[in-house]
Amino acid sequence: MVTYSGKAKDVKVLNDKEVQISFRDSISAFDGIKKEELPDKGITSCLTSVKLFEILDGYGFATHYISKIDETQMLCKKVTILPVEVVCRNISAGSFCRRYGYEEGIRFEKPLIEFFVKDDEHHDPLITESVAVQMKLVTENEAILMEAITRAVNEVLIKIFDLISLQLVDFKLEFGKTTAGQLLLADEISADTMRLWEKKTGEKKDKDRYRQDLGDVIVHYKDILARLNAIQKIPKYMPLSTVQVIIRLRKSVLDPAGEVIFRSLSRKGFNSVESTRLGKSAEIVFNAVPSSELQSEIEEISAKILSNPLIEDFEFKIQHHSEKNEKEYVEEE
Amino acid sequence: MRIGITKFPGTNNEQDVLRALSCLDVKGELIYPWDVKKLENFDALVLAGGFSYGDYLRPGGIAAQSPIAEALMDFEKSGKYIIGICNGFQILCETKILPGVLTTNLSTKFICKWVNIKTENIQSPLLQNLEQIIKIPIAHYEGRYYHDSTGIKKILTDNTVAFRYCNEHGEITPESNPNGSLENIAGIANTRGNVLGMMPHPERANFDYLGSDTGKQIFANLIEEIKC
Repeated sequence: MVTYSGKAKDVKVLNDKEVQISFRDSISAFDGIKKEELPDKGITSCLTSVKLFEILDGYGFATHYISKIDETQMLCKKVTILPVEVVCRNISAGSFCRRYGYEEGIRFEKPLIEFFVKDDEHHDPLITESVAVQMKLVTENEAILMEAITRAVNEVLIKIFDLISLQLVDFKLEFGKTTAGQLLLADEISADTMRLWEKKTGEKKDKDRYRQDLGDVIVHYKDILARLNAIQKIPKYMPLSTVQVIIRLRKSVLDPAGEVIFRSLSRKGFNSVESTRLGKSAEIVFNAVPSSELQSEIEEISAKILSNPLIEDFEFKIQHHSEKNEKEYVEEE
Repeated sequence: MRIGITKFPGTNNEQDVLRALSCLDVKGELIYPWDVKKLENFDALVLAGGFSYGDYLRPGGIAAQSPIAEALMDFEKSGKYIIGICNGFQILCETKILPGVLTTNLSTKFICKWVNIKTENIQSPLLQNLEQIIKIPIAHYEGRYYHDSTGIKKILTDNTVAFRYCNEHGEITPESNPNGSLENIAGIANTRGNVLGMMPHPERANFDYLGSDTGKQIFANLIEEIKC
């Protein structure tokens, strides 16, 4: 059996489909320059991850989590971890402030999504989506899906932490791919991978306590876990996804309507217009979170019903549908 | 003898088909998109023209997703007769019972006029004893027959083109092609010959005083075949 050791976890490959992830008591920051062993860190991070994965599973997110083995170990699906991780920011903090020189605590109107390359040698640099796609770290489809999933996770986690008086400042997600090509939320989701502030006082409850030597790291980690465990009822609510499908006449098919528009534009003096083609677009809202399965479903709908493959082709972009939920926030506040 | 005439929301030619049949002493019956169970009681189906479901998406596109369209495939396989007229032809193509697709006229205009079509010599009882040149009305915006080159080749090899647009002398010319259909195709049959799809309206060429009665023979053939 092969075992991979990370900075805070060991991953043991059990078989073709499953791995066992063990959480150690190690904590580290700044690419491992600062590291330490903190008693109970492994247990707390593991149980927090278990709890959050179970919550996300409940909302329909596809995750690698299968079950809890014991207090420091999870059974997970075997995946190939994508070399790009996604960070979602609701409030400015951490590397965002260092990189741009902005102060901590700026609330973003729309959550910011950032991609980072997992590359210790270059200190996990920020990467644009187009570079990540160009360098074949992820496909365009994967990048779109990763962003959509991250936004949906953000929406769910904000609600969950709000229930226990914590403010979700930012978090990091890692994604893995199964051999079948399914994209899954992977790694861990814990106080090590997010920033949480006490809602009333703004007190830091996360790994920044370690980074900034604020002390009582595990006390606060344990407090987060205790509050999560105390939630009586996970709120019922359905994250939505929205997709825009664009249907085009194939290049080989004459487009009389496009021709008419072209002639009309030329007559109006828009001489730089070289050609026009007219297509259709459909906007569909799904009561499901973004996922590889949803992507396949949209593909089937587009190929079999929305378009006639003889004369048309299509493309689509899946997005997390947040409009409705933004309204809900206003009501809550 | 029971002949069903499909009535989708937006179908508007069913009364003309009923009248065409009643001239031949057959009482047609309307059948609705959800009447799948009734289907087996019918000996033949006529998919009447119009704008099923507003022709949203593509002409016939939504109708092709309806329960009755899903059952159409078995109906066809059983050897029973189906005639699709105009929107009915579009539905047959969308369900892939007939090959190809009907798309926007080259002129981008709705064309409503009398045309001439030439009856091709193919293996379908529905085309027996038809006049060589038929004067018949068309009324459509999306009647341009299209298939990719392999598809067209197959249709020609299979010899399933039923009607071609032609001039009054029966010559297949570009000028007599009203909508830009490939190969001047106005109607096609399946290889077995029990399914016929056509853009022109035989039910409107049923009386001399309306301009022509040459469409009548198609319905007469249908009735004759069911009797056999």
